[in-house]
Amino acid sequence: MSQSYNRGLVEDFGRWKEFSAGMWAWIFHKFTGWVLVGYLFTHIAVLSTAIPAQQGEMVTNSAGEQVDVYTNTLTLLESTFVVRLLEVGLLAVAVFHILNGIRLLLVDLGIGLESQDKTFYASLVLTGAIVIASVPTFMAGIGGA
Amino acid sequence: MSTQVPETETEAETEAEPAGESHQERRMADKAARREYRESEKKAEAELRAAEESVHLKVFRYDPEVEDKQEPRFDDFYVPYTKGMTVLDALMYARDHYDSSLTFRHSCRQAVCGSDAMFVNGRQRLCCKTQLSEMAEPVRIEPLPHQDVVKDLVVDMEHFYDQMHAVEPYFQSEDVPTEEQRQSRENREKIKMSTRCIWCGACMSSCNIAAGDNEYLGPAAINKAYRFYMDEREDEEELKEHRLRILEQEHGVWRCQTQFSCTEVCPKDIPLTEHIQELKREAVKNNLKFW
Amino acid sequence: MWLLQRVTAAFLVVVLAFHFFLLHFYHHAFEITLMGTQTRMQDVGYFATMWLFLVTATFHGVNGVYNALVNQGISGTPKTAVKAILGLAGLLLVAQGTRVALYMNGFLA
Repeated sequence: MSQSYNRGLVEDFGRWKEFSAGMWAWIFHKFTGWVLVGYLFTHIAVLSTAIPAQQGEMVTNSAGEQVDVYTNTLTLLESTFVVRLLEVGLLAVAVFHILNGIRLLLVDLGIGLESQDKTFYASLVLTGAIVIASVPTFMAGIGGA
Repeated sequence: MSTQVPETETEAETEAEPAGESHQERRMADKAARREYRESEKKAEAELRAAEESVHLKVFRYDPEVEDKQEPRFDDFYVPYTKGMTVLDALMYARDHYDSSLTFRHSCRQAVCGSDAMFVNGRQRLCCKTQLSEMAEPVRIEPLPHQDVVKDLVVDMEHFYDQMHAVEPYFQSEDVPTEEQRQSRENREKIKMSTRCIWCGACMSSCNIAAGDNEYLGPAAINKAYRFYMDEREDEEELKEHRLRILEQEHGVWRCQTQFSCTEVCPKDIPLTEHIQELKREAVKNNLKFW
Repeated sequence: MWLLQRVTAAFLVVVLAFHFFLLHFYHHAFEITLMGTQTRMQDVGYFATMWLFLVTATFHGVNGVYNALVNQGISGTPKTAVKAILGLAGLLLVAQGTRVALYMNGFLA
């Protein structure tokens, strides 16, 4: 209750570790959702460099060649380690959101309600596995290659 | 209701009309009460020493009307353990032997009345149904979260009851039935679990959404609505529509985020989330029909 | 709304997976050039998929944020304001995205 009497520390103490699987799933889903919305906006912003590029705007890249803005921006971004790391993070976030989303869709359809906690752990494990498996792909060609 | 309430009432009465009994009589009564109390404490000490095991309780204390209880705190009680003792038994022992002002609701002591739902070791539980042997020590007992604390372990249930009544939990067919209204076995099975609700409020207290959104109907009320919506004995289309309209408001079924907290804490094992999901699908079906 | 959120979710699962595979495993992200993007975007099917992807993702995302705020118990004027801002942001995103996509396939130059 939003206007309930504030029990101070007594109210909050140790509450978070008492959360059940379903609550964690909800919190993660919400958090990853926010991240993905934020990414969607920046993604479109970055891709917007295609407009001046299409109009023939050229820049000189680090190697001294003339390239269009779009290619330059993307290559530049992709060559920084931080961006690569963020991409792996993004993949993790997206994969979890997808898998837990499927879990929620099943719950909405009334399937597997009794094993909802198990499916949550499964989606966590699967996310981890997929992310680790794809790290090489994401890191490919970074060290000057 | 709490057994403590009558006591506080008599206290208030004596303060209000001191002329009622003579000064001496009152002093004698006080003295007798103190003696009795000392004796019960002594008895408890002896029992505690005699008992093979004792249980350590940490109990939430708060009373806005008593000066040194305005700041919430935890009190420790050591209770001699007997086989089969529940959390409620331990609380009653503590109240009867150590501190008669310890306040909590209880009545039937057999998980039927639903008055002793509390937050025990980080989870909403029905105290009379919770074995002490299953609890890690010290056993932390707090009032239900997300509800106003009235005193000690007693919370204000008014909001919960308001939400329960908001779904109109009664049959409302206009025509008086001429003969006995029979229910098929299948239908009985369908609503069986939903009829088991004892209004203890554990689910509502565990719900993250109900904590943030005060207008949310909450799992118990939606389950109540399910019980009537699914009952075949109320089969008028308009009534079903009417019930769905209450449920599909912004603060109705759509607020449920399927966290399963309510289903996990329900002392009567009602599949609350499942019922809410079923009603969501009913609402969608109903809306698609209109298009 | 609830149903729409689920339907878009189901659609997004498929398309997002496709998007990821195509642009990270098939083409590597660091090899993306304007030329490649243009070639892909000239395919009507790909263009349509990407545009639908944009619209559903925006709806799903913006509606998701709105729901998260309603769950926190928002009401009255702040709620109306949030609705307007989120709606506007969503529309702008779709508009800009569409503009970019049209430039990419050479429809607008």
